[in-house]
Amino acid sequence: MTEREYKLIFTGSMGAGKTTAIAAVSDVTPVRTEVSNSDRATHAKATTTTGLDYGEVTLPGGQVLRLFGTPGQARFHFMWDILGKGALGVVLLVDNSRPDPLDDLREYMQAFANIIGTSRAVVGVGKLDQHPSPSLDDYHEALHELGLQVPVVSTDVRRREQVITLLDILFYQIEAADESARQGAAWA
Amino acid sequence: MNAMESVLSRSEEMVIRHHMEALMAREQEICGLLVSTVDGFRVAAMLTGELSAEKLSAMASSLLAINEAVCQESSLGECRDLVIEASQGRILLMDIPHPAQKLILTVLCRAKVTMGQVLWAARGCRESLGQLFHTR
Repeated sequence: MTEREYKLIFTGSMGAGKTTAIAAVSDVTPVRTEVSNSDRATHAKATTTTGLDYGEVTLPGGQVLRLFGTPGQARFHFMWDILGKGALGVVLLVDNSRPDPLDDLREYMQAFANIIGTSRAVVGVGKLDQHPSPSLDDYHEALHELGLQVPVVSTDVRRREQVITLLDILFYQIEAADESARQGAAWA
Repeated sequence: MNAMESVLSRSEEMVIRHHMEALMAREQEICGLLVSTVDGFRVAAMLTGELSAEKLSAMASSLLAINEAVCQESSLGECRDLVIEASQGRILLMDIPHPAQKLILTVLCRAKVTMGQVLWAARGCRESLGQLFHTR
């Protein structure tokens, strides 16, 4: 990976829209590993990702974002560890229609804590218009309790420009964290 | 959770177990067998020691899904079997066709296995199960 390439993770619960988000922005035909979903009790959708999603986005400045989507279910935790290696930041997609979205937030923030540190992430909350609770303030509060400074935005991952916005925010978070680390090293 | 109960009948599960026992008895170098759903739930397992059928089921699902994506990306046709060479044995994975829910057969083999022989036997098991499910 060159300095101008960034490995980023898309994660979140089953059905949160990881595959859709990567497909919405990728400049190349995305790699998908969807299979038939037998667990209709958890989510009614016909297919589910069990391997990974992959896509690429080239920013106007020439930086290449390599996007890796994880399976959502906790039984694929081993894939979270594999895909997370070398990643610089995390896009966490939360589905606000789920039974306990704030619990989902905590679970994935914890699972990717080694990448996120205190700020290398962005949270995109889906279906907020139909399911207004928890609110964005509730998310901010939960993140604050976890000791994280991570932006939270309402998003519709079917819309390319909204996924690009998530990536822009994450990119800024990563740059700011890098700058802060450089300043810390200079003072030391 | 036992998701496969919704797609596999009790009699299908028994047929799978019967086929697994026959395969295990036929090939002495097979040391473990697992049948799981394509999305990573255990259906039936004949594993030794502390091997986790639940964990292996999820891993088999990821491996086969990635295998299919690699075959597609390489324009080399449909994915068939996946063989993993390990220092102390080999692991063979293949799908089992089922009208409602594709399944995965995972075969764990000892190091001195004659792979062609096991491959032949496992494919026979796969075909036989596929035909049985199709005619039900």
